[in-house]
Amino acid sequence: MTIGSLSGDLATSRAAAGRSQRRRLGRFLIIGSTAAFILLILAQVLQAAGVAQFGFPNWRPTLYGYVTWGVLLAIGQIMARGEAGWRALFILPAGMFVAAFAIFPTFAGLLIAMTDWNLSSSTGPRFNGLDNLIELFQDRFYWNALGNMVIYVLMVAVEYAIAFGLALLLNAEIRARKLWRVAFLIPLMLSPVAVSWMVGKSMLETRFGPIARFAKSVGWQSPTFFADPWIARLSIEAMDAWVSIPFMMILLLAGLQALPKEVSEAAKVDGATGWQGFWQITFPLMLPVSITAIILRIIFKLKLADIVINVTSGGPGGATDTVSSFIYREYRDRSNVGYGTMLAMFYLVLIIVFITALLNLFNKRMQRMS
Amino acid sequence: MKVDVYNQLMALQTGRRNFMKGVAALAAGSALGTSLAGRAFAQGNVRADILAIPGVGKGSPTDADWQKVGELTLEATKASVAEGEFAGVELTFMGLNNQNLHNFLFRGFLKPWEAYTGAKINWIDLAQADYNARLQQSIASGTVDFDIIEMGAPFEGDTAGKGLLDEMPDWVKTQIDMDDYVNYLKAPVGTWDGKTYRITIDGDCHTFAYRKDYFTDPAITAATGMTEAPTTWQQINEFTKKVKGQKDPLTGGDAFGYLDPLKGWGGFGFYFLEDRASAYAKHPSDPAWLFDADTMKPRVNNPAWVQAIQDVLDAVPSLPPDQINADPGTTAFQQFLAGTGSGICWWGDVGSNAKTSDSSVVGDVVGFSINPGSDKVYNSAAGAWETPATPNFAPNMAYLGWGIYVTKNVSADDKKRKAAWSAAAHLGGKDISLWTAAYPSGFQPYRNSHFQYDEWASAGYDRAFVEDYLGSNLDSYNHPNAAIEPRIPGIFQYYSVAEDVLAKGFAGQLGTAQEIADAIAAEWEKITDQIGRDSQIKLYKASLGL
Repeated sequence: MTIGSLSGDLATSRAAAGRSQRRRLGRFLIIGSTAAFILLILAQVLQAAGVAQFGFPNWRPTLYGYVTWGVLLAIGQIMARGEAGWRALFILPAGMFVAAFAIFPTFAGLLIAMTDWNLSSSTGPRFNGLDNLIELFQDRFYWNALGNMVIYVLMVAVEYAIAFGLALLLNAEIRARKLWRVAFLIPLMLSPVAVSWMVGKSMLETRFGPIARFAKSVGWQSPTFFADPWIARLSIEAMDAWVSIPFMMILLLAGLQALPKEVSEAAKVDGATGWQGFWQITFPLMLPVSITAIILRIIFKLKLADIVINVTSGGPGGATDTVSSFIYREYRDRSNVGYGTMLAMFYLVLIIVFITALLNLFNKRMQRMS
Repeated sequence: MKVDVYNQLMALQTGRRNFMKGVAALAAGSALGTSLAGRAFAQGNVRADILAIPGVGKGSPTDADWQKVGELTLEATKASVAEGEFAGVELTFMGLNNQNLHNFLFRGFLKPWEAYTGAKINWIDLAQADYNARLQQSIASGTVDFDIIEMGAPFEGDTAGKGLLDEMPDWVKTQIDMDDYVNYLKAPVGTWDGKTYRITIDGDCHTFAYRKDYFTDPAITAATGMTEAPTTWQQINEFTKKVKGQKDPLTGGDAFGYLDPLKGWGGFGFYFLEDRASAYAKHPSDPAWLFDADTMKPRVNNPAWVQAIQDVLDAVPSLPPDQINADPGTTAFQQFLAGTGSGICWWGDVGSNAKTSDSSVVGDVVGFSINPGSDKVYNSAAGAWETPATPNFAPNMAYLGWGIYVTKNVSADDKKRKAAWSAAAHLGGKDISLWTAAYPSGFQPYRNSHFQYDEWASAGYDRAFVEDYLGSNLDSYNHPNAAIEPRIPGIFQYYSVAEDVLAKGFAGQLGTAQEIADAIAAEWEKITDQIGRDSQIKLYKASLGL
């Protein structure tokens, strides 16, 4: 053994010892910071429950603890796992972010949903288990709003048909095509609140609104757009559709422009009529884009609230009420935080189940077609 | 004064000047104005001096004007506070920023106060829509971060009821001359559980505005048999049914009677059922009319309230075709002012709009009175209807008005507490309140001294108009059987859920008036149980002074 190799072995062994020590320190940082953070949360929870007093003025220590834990966790990962730890750093911040802004609020929401919590109550929130859920099933206002949502969602099919028609029109060689494209997009740029006032409260106003006047001039004796349940629903749907159809249209137009022209040209050469070309070629090729447009539109539709709140407040007799506008009243006007949160949570579950089922249905249909 | 009222008054003045259409008349007007101003300042009278800032018809007041008013009305503060006494004190004031008034005025008014006392005020400005949520969240989360608050009296249950407010010291009562308040703002409404917390800066009530031409038009009078404005709900119901099929004397369109708003308005729509119900349900011998004070059992399904709901159901076929979608705002400003309907109950300011608004066609034919009464009144204690010798009137003191309150945050610090109350007293002083009553401020008159019509006339206002506009308010404010709003926690929750049920009921989905009323009562019971029945009973009694 030479002196050189001896010193090399020594250096290697020192480096290994250093790495081992660093790994231990890293693991200690990870375990220690995690344990400290858990203890901090526990202390805050115990104080909030009135079991013990630690002098926390508010929940900010938990927030600061979370950030500190995140930093120590990152350092610990690098020290304990070296290169793999560095790679983990690409994921860790995103994970921490998702935990803080998605997972934690969801669990907090679930917890609040299981409380009897009216902001005006002097006793504050009281855990009531599934009482809110049971009450929800007996709440005729909520089920009425859900029933209305079914109607509104079915209307998406009509919106899709109109949007597709407009997209085909704007994809064709027509005069001033660019101008039309911009013109058709304008409603999308308008705030639904502005539309509520400009259209719902002004143009459709029974006495002075131009649309009402026009209706009178063509023989409708007493034109009312929000007095009869079905006319009111259709009026709300028309305003919402006017704002949102351009959104579907622009997605479909983009899809149409991406279609290979050779296919439709070949069909024409083979003698296909315009309708055959559309139904046998264009429509099937557009299905993936169509499904995306429809799913996105349904998700937006399920959140419909602003126009309803501004124009009808859910009336007449709840005919235009949506789940979101009902929850808005439960929260804003009645400060019913626990029950309102349960309504929102239940609706979230319904939406997830419905959209998942819809996607599966579309996927199966697509697979069958392909 | 509410901004729109001021604008309408100014528009009226302008209209009159146009009517004169002559240099001579304008010259005479100028001479009159000069002589009045000269007289006011010659008297050295603070009230006349502040009414001349900026002067009637001289544009909207600015921050400089507010500061001048604040400076001129500082004498009361100087009598109780030494110069620089509050040096180093910082206070936080939470209030509204509606229409660039409220807190904006308070800033100007308090600037001279800050300069004199040495205190500094930090401001939390809130939009009306954010106010309730911010207040409730502060209370619920135990983070009341303001020392002084501008607050509506109905929220006293949420604040005073939870021990969050500081009791008013006696020297403040003297400084602001509380005896000058109109009757309904004195105890018990002016107090909470026998203690005084509120420095009132506003008054609110509903009054009845009606179309006089409906009672002179030959065709309508022949059809209805009525030549005088109705004074009871029984007369109004009869008139509303009989006038259907006639033509409006002004617009030539279809004629309609009393306009009930059938659509909710964030809880505020319930006040309009109260307008009808108060005459039936508010017995002169009993301050309670919405709940039984001993049990919090809702009275909303007793025969009096059921009668009020039945009246509305009976009236629906005679109302305009889109009435189911008409909220109170629509009913007042898009229907009544525009010539649809012969009568409406609303806050005091709608009357002046009717007289002068550009979009109003009813200006020359409008009349005012306190809310209609009833030939019969329900005695809840006896469980029976009574027929008094004269109709039972019970003006609806809807919302009660805004006030300035000091929170418990300052209670432990004598210097800070005195500073907070001094600032609040400056804003609620007798003289400064005359200015807020006369100029755009967001507040209506609320003191007996505000109804000295000569003072308004001397300042340049049209006396006949002001007297007409204010008279119905004054009569309501001082009525011995005024229906007072319960200042219990969550009162707007009760109203909001009632609106939802009423909307279904008016749309014919809930059956009879009794079934509608029962449904509201059931919802109210749930809210009471959720907030806490025992505490609600205690607070309800406290709000009624029982």
